[in-house]
Amino acid sequence: MPSLAGAKERSLFGQVVKCYENKQYKKGLKAADQILRKHPDHGDTQAMKALIINSQGNTEEAFALAKIALKNDMKSHICWHVYGLLYRSVKNFEESIKAYRFALKLEPASSQIQRDLALLQMQMRDYPGYIQSRRAILQARSGVRQNWTALAIAQHLGGQLVDAERTLSAWEDTIKTPPPKSDVEHSEAVLYKNTIIAEMGETERALDHLDAVSKGSLDRTAAMEMRGQYLLKLGRKEEAANTYRTLLDRNSEYRAYYDGLVTALGLQRTDLEALKKIYAEYSEKNPRCDAARRVPLDFLEGDDFREAADTYLRHMLKKGAPSTFANVKSLYTDVAKRDTIQSLVESYAASANPTQVNGSAEKQPDKPDGEKPADGTDAHVEEKQVNGNVSQFDSSVRYFLVQHYNYHLSRDLEKAMNLIEDAIKSNPGSVDLYMTKARIWKHHGNAKKASETMEKARSVDERDRYINTKAAKYQLRNDENDAAIKTMSKFTRNEAVGGALGDLHDMQCVWYIIEDGESYLRQGKLGPALKRFHSISDIFEVWQEDQFDFHSFSLRKGQIRAYVDMIRWEDHLREHPFFSRAAINAAKTYVSLHDKPQLAQASLTNGINGEMDKLDKAERKKAQRKARKDQEKKEQEEAEKKDAKKTAGNVGADGEIKKEDKDPQGQKLLQTTEPLADAMKFVTPLLEYSPRNLEAQLASFEVFIRRKKFLLALRCLLTSHSLSPSNPTIHEQLLRLRHTLNSHPTSSPLPAPVSSLLETELSKLLDRDTDLTQHNDTFLATHKLSTPHVHAALRARYALASSSQLDAVKEEGQKELIKTLELGEDGCKLEDAVRGLELLRWWDVGEEGLGEYRARARESWPEATVFE
Amino acid sequence: MAEPQPASVQEGIDPEGPPAPTGGDARKAAAALSTLDQRGDDATAPTKNIDQDALSNAISRLELTSGKVTPGGEQQKEREAEARKEKERRAKIKVDAQDVGLLVEELDLTKIKATELLKAHEGDAMKALRAFVTANV
Repeated sequence: MPSLAGAKERSLFGQVVKCYENKQYKKGLKAADQILRKHPDHGDTQAMKALIINSQGNTEEAFALAKIALKNDMKSHICWHVYGLLYRSVKNFEESIKAYRFALKLEPASSQIQRDLALLQMQMRDYPGYIQSRRAILQARSGVRQNWTALAIAQHLGGQLVDAERTLSAWEDTIKTPPPKSDVEHSEAVLYKNTIIAEMGETERALDHLDAVSKGSLDRTAAMEMRGQYLLKLGRKEEAANTYRTLLDRNSEYRAYYDGLVTALGLQRTDLEALKKIYAEYSEKNPRCDAARRVPLDFLEGDDFREAADTYLRHMLKKGAPSTFANVKSLYTDVAKRDTIQSLVESYAASANPTQVNGSAEKQPDKPDGEKPADGTDAHVEEKQVNGNVSQFDSSVRYFLVQHYNYHLSRDLEKAMNLIEDAIKSNPGSVDLYMTKARIWKHHGNAKKASETMEKARSVDERDRYINTKAAKYQLRNDENDAAIKTMSKFTRNEAVGGALGDLHDMQCVWYIIEDGESYLRQGKLGPALKRFHSISDIFEVWQEDQFDFHSFSLRKGQIRAYVDMIRWEDHLREHPFFSRAAINAAKTYVSLHDKPQLAQASLTNGINGEMDKLDKAERKKAQRKARKDQEKKEQEEAEKKDAKKTAGNVGADGEIKKEDKDPQGQKLLQTTEPLADAMKFVTPLLEYSPRNLEAQLASFEVFIRRKKFLLALRCLLTSHSLSPSNPTIHEQLLRLRHTLNSHPTSSPLPAPVSSLLETELSKLLDRDTDLTQHNDTFLATHKLSTPHVHAALRARYALASSSQLDAVKEEGQKELIKTLELGEDGCKLEDAVRGLELLRWWDVGEEGLGEYRARARESWPEATVFE
Repeated sequence: MAEPQPASVQEGIDPEGPPAPTGGDARKAAAALSTLDQRGDDATAPTKNIDQDALSNAISRLELTSGKVTPGGEQQKEREAEARKEKERRAKIKVDAQDVGLLVEELDLTKIKATELLKAHEGDAMKALRAFVTANV
């Protein structure tokens, strides 16, 4: 390499490196330019300059310069290292690893390159590579404990458990005197070794080891929990029971300990007396303990249940715990328990308010206790607590009942509404009550009143962030996107780039972004909708990226077990419901865009339900042209406005340069020519991480069948079928796949293995020679009392029809859909009716058909805003 | 509902960026956070309380992986050995490039994944396809 001749240049180069590390970019650039003036082709300096330029945000320029640097000096490890760093900064990890490897080959002694490579291998989960790198690092510096632990982690995660244990033991053997008790790193490493032994399945040895080390371990709770699990596994029940008793003495609210104790005592769910005794023991010991009182409600039945529930509910309601209902609603899946609770709480209400009086509850002081003195100690204390003019008990009872009648398993919305009106009258300053009222409106389907009521609740306490959030969510449900962001802006950093919405993105406020996206989707504004779904996907990517720093940080801190937990969590990151929700929505949106490319245009104007249908072709074109022009004009105006605003600069609080979003309406996403290929960005992780999600399988099928990836479509179909054989959509998708295959052009036959596999698997579900139309008609006739089934059959009929039949099919379908509206609550839920409306829109039946359907639906759901 | 805020605090308004951490722990945490991405693990001094002979011994043992036997882990060793053997066996299986192409095309797999899948099924394309399609059933 053309090394620098003069001592002056060498020191200058050192200065460049230093400046880069200290983030003094301007100074560094100056020094680099000084060298380059004398040695214009000096690769190392160019590489360092590229690195600095990249840190300043000019990635493209940096790459160009780094390439020149490499050309000038192919044999420089610095150039290759920089090249790797640049790739790393744009998240092209594979290329980055390659570059690091090259750099390392040129300079095997560089610990910096070695470490950069190792961290990236961990990030990419290249365990064999990581083990190798960790071994090299350890050999270079074997006196540091971290390096041993790191190798053990690599081996552990790479599946070499025996090696991992040996590595940890090897270090322990070198310690001369036992480390001090305060040595966290030691304590953690020892417990970590214990978990590895347990993972090998050698519980006995793990227990022995644990008993030997747990005295010095700082995480007492973890050690005891592990001990309990090992003892249970080994069947040493008596000791296990003792361990769990000790744990319960430490924390009597943790249900897992009760479960452990019950298992250790060998009790079944039916050993009621013994079970009752255990829980009674702990509730006596801890008068304020909730778990010991609440858990028995899970297994008690009949009169036992009634008695226990009575005690529990009285206790909680007297305390005025607002979470009482949330705490017991999981029992409602058992109808008998649900009814018992209802009659109990109703009886409290009746004895408190014999006649529904208007707020004069003073005249009926706490009567309920007079009847049933069942509950002991608290009665006297609580009884005296009277809150305003209504006792706490009375108002808690009423609040409980409102929630009860609002809950889907015990719903009676009218009753709930009457109760809440009364409650609000006697306590008009309660946020909770208005919030619950809003929720009742929501269940009526009245998004508008729900949003207004929630806004009212917000106005009661404007500093309460929780209710602020709720109000924004309800506004989004009512498609008031602007109002919602305004509500949110009361708690965001509004000077962030992109305003409140920008801050919500920075703060990764996933719930808001997804609700916003779904709202735009409902309005047919596909651009912003897609934009939001992509944001969600990006945020998950950031979460994945975030672990990078911890590969070195956690080691330095010695928190190994937490680190391994985190790594395993990251491996399943995209299983998160928020991800699947965004991904399913995005996939569906792209499918719509594929089927109806004109939606992209419509979305630019004003939603799908525009007036387009009524116009003839020439007029439609004219309208579209005008819409586009308007849009362009609007964009230009907005751009000008933004330029004017752009004085403050776009540097975020952390000094990071934030780029202005040039496409806030997501039009670039809309104008895609390959919507199905774009959908795969969502479908692939969706199927990989949530294969047991039925919705995900159904949505992915739609993408695959359009991409003519029949085997993948079949895979989704088979999976859906195994998840829920009777789901009506599976019927539809099966028929459509059959139909598509039957009408596949013989001129381009599928590869032999593909068609034979399709044939064998499909014929298991549906006989090859079935007349599809007839089969579908039979299906419709059999299931005509269930709306989802009718929808599926109608969609299938539409798909099977030839183009000349389409109009007839639609007309017939319209009638069938209206018929479903009369099926009553069991056959047609509100959601089903809404889906029917969507289907009609999809068929482009026109305003008249939609109007008729809406009018009929209003009869059944007079409050629902969707049918207005 | 929420605790009343002191009058000087107004939610959502943060004129000077994040407040400076106050308590000792908070300051330490902030310092740790700011050095999160710095290269620190080389800076750590080697622990002094170690037996150098034992250390070099341990290092040399590290070289030959199948060296000294540690107590326990017998079953795990067997499992790992078996996995290794299976891997070696699979490495020897030959796969048809055409079959790889078919899997890549039909199943949206990368070449590497397609080859792996084929090798796991003795290079039989039909078996591989069927296994993939019915994986979740």
